[in-house]
Amino acid sequence: MADSVLRILRILNRGVAYLIGIMLLACAAFVLADIVLRQVGASFGGTDEISGYVMAIATAWGMGYAMVELSHVRIDLLRQQVDALGRSLFDIFAMIVTTGVILLIAYECWPVLARSITNGSTANTPLETPLVWVQGPWFAGWVWFGIVSTLTTLSALSLIVQGRFSESEQAIGAFGEADML
Amino acid sequence: MITYTAVGLLGLLALSIPVGIVLFLLGIGIDQFFSAFPLLRGMGALVWSSSNSATLIAIPFFILLGEILVRSGVAARTYAALDKWVSWLPGGLIHANIATATMFSATSGSSVATAATVATVAMPQAEKLGYDPKLFSGAIAAGGTLGIMIPPSINLIVYGFLTQSSIPQLFLAGLIPGLGLAVAFVIMTAVICTIRPSLGGERRSFPWAARMGALLQLVPILLLFAAIVGSIYKGWATPTEAAAIGVAGAFVIALIFGRVDVPMIGLALLGTIKVTSMIMLIVIGASFLNFTLASAGLGRELQAFLNGLGLSTVATMLVIVLIYIVLGFFIETLSLMVVTIPIIVPLVVEMGYDPVWFGILMIVLVEMALITPPVGLNLYVVQGARTSGNLSDVMLGVIPYVIVLLLMAAALLIFPQIALFLPQLLN
Repeated sequence: MADSVLRILRILNRGVAYLIGIMLLACAAFVLADIVLRQVGASFGGTDEISGYVMAIATAWGMGYAMVELSHVRIDLLRQQVDALGRSLFDIFAMIVTTGVILLIAYECWPVLARSITNGSTANTPLETPLVWVQGPWFAGWVWFGIVSTLTTLSALSLIVQGRFSESEQAIGAFGEADML
Repeated sequence: MITYTAVGLLGLLALSIPVGIVLFLLGIGIDQFFSAFPLLRGMGALVWSSSNSATLIAIPFFILLGEILVRSGVAARTYAALDKWVSWLPGGLIHANIATATMFSATSGSSVATAATVATVAMPQAEKLGYDPKLFSGAIAAGGTLGIMIPPSINLIVYGFLTQSSIPQLFLAGLIPGLGLAVAFVIMTAVICTIRPSLGGERRSFPWAARMGALLQLVPILLLFAAIVGSIYKGWATPTEAAAIGVAGAFVIALIFGRVDVPMIGLALLGTIKVTSMIMLIVIGASFLNFTLASAGLGRELQAFLNGLGLSTVATMLVIVLIYIVLGFFIETLSLMVVTIPIIVPLVVEMGYDPVWFGILMIVLVEMALITPPVGLNLYVVQGARTSGNLSDVMLGVIPYVIVLLLMAAALLIFPQIALFLPQLLN
C-alpha cells in the first residue's frame, strides 16, 4: 500500500514537472519574441507581468516534484552519525514538521485568492489580468504540495512502523546533494 | 531576537529539517514571541509576491541553459578543446580543468553542475596520463566554485532579490574578482607544478592547426557569454531577457555541436524544475523571515547590539568574515547565504558598507564553504566522479585553492575597488 502510494506520487509529480518545464520553455520563447519585436518597434507588452505569473505557478507546482526527488536541501551532519533506525527518526520528524509548515502555508495562501475572488481584483497593470486566473493555479500548486507532503509522510511512517527502514529512506531520506544533479 | 534566531537556526538545521522550512519556522516563531502584530496574516501575500517575480524567473532559465550545454555533450567537447590551448603550462591538463570550469561558470551560473561536468570528463584523463590525483581533483572542485561568482550567477540573483540591490551591478562587480580568481588558480597551479613537477603530469604542446580547430568549439560559447553579459550591461536586456537569449543560444550551440533529442530535453527540464524548486523554497522562506525580522524591529536591535559590542567597524567586519568561514565548514552555498542575509546584511549596511561590495565578499566566502570539509559539496561531487582513491585526496588537493580564496577575501577587504570599480564605471 505505502509503496504504491509513493510510486504513484512520483509518477504524477514527474508528469507535473514536465508540464511546468514546457510552460517555462514557452515563457522563454515569449520573452525572446518580445525582444525581437522590440527591434522593429513593436511589443506584446506585459512580458514581465506574465513571466512573474509563470514563475509563481511553476514554483508552487514544482515543490512536490522536488520533494519526492529528495531535492530540498537538508543539513544531515548529525543524521549521518546514527544507525538506520535513528536516521529514519530524523527523517520522519523532519517530514512531519515540513508537512505542518506546508499545510500552514497553503492555508495562509487561501485568503490571497479569496480576496481576489470576492473583489474580482485585476492586476494594476495595462493587461488588467484578473488575478483569479493566475492565483487560482498558484494556490492549487501549494495545496498539491501539501497533499504530496502529507501522503509521503503517512506512507513513510507506515514503512518505518513495519521496520522497512531502507524503503523509507528511499522515500524521505537525505542523500548527497550530488545525486540530484 | 538575534540570539533566538541564531540559536534556533543552528538547532533546527542540525535536526535535518529542510533549510527552507527552517526559515519559515523561525519566521513563525518571531511572529509568536517578538511581534506585537499578527505577522502570520501577511504570509500568503508574501509567498505570492516573492515568487511572482519576473526577476527570479532568470534562475530556471540560467539553470536550463547549463543543463542543455551539459546534457548535449557540448561541455565535454569544450574540455577537449581547452586542453589543446592550456596544457603546455606547468601542470598540463589541470589548467584545462580550471579553464573549463571558468567557461561554464560564465554561462551557466551553477557551481555544482560545473564541478560535476568537469569531473566526469576529466577524471578518466587524469588516470590515463598519470596525474597526481590530489591536485588534479582539488583543481576541479575549486574551479567549480567560480560558477557562483562569474556572471551570470544564480547566487547573485538571489542576493540581489533579497537585499534589493541591483542585479546588473552585482554581476558587474563579480566579473573582476571572478576572472581574477580563475587567473590566480592557474598561477597557483603553475607555481606548485614548477616546484614539484611530479604533481603536474605531462606537459603537452599541440600544433597550431589543432588549436585553431579547437577554437571553433570555443568561440560559440564565448559569444554566448558575451551576448548574455553584454546585453545586460549595455542595458538592452534585463537579466531575465538575457537569460532567455541564453537558453536560445544554448539550443543553437547544442544543435550544431552536440546531441539534441526529446529525451535529452526532457531530462534537462526535469533537472531545471528540481533545482529551481529547491532554490525557491529557500528563497520564499528567507523572504518571509526577512519580513518578520524587519517588522519585529530587527534594525533597532542590531543598532543596540553593535553599540554593545563596542568593536570598530573593521573588527566587526573581521568577526563577520570569521563567522562565514566557520559556518562554511557545515552549511552549503545558497543555504549559507540565505540564512545569514536577513541578519548580517542589515548589520553591514548599518555600518556604512556597500551592499554590492559585501555581496561579492560573501560569494568568495561561500565559494570557500563549497570546498571546505566536512560539508563541502564540490568535494563530494568530484569524489563521486572518481573510480578510486579517498575523499581525503580531494580535501588535500583543494588546500592551495582555499589559500587563494582567503587571499581574495583579504584583497576585497583592503581594496573594495576590486569589486566596485566596474559598477562605478557604469554609473
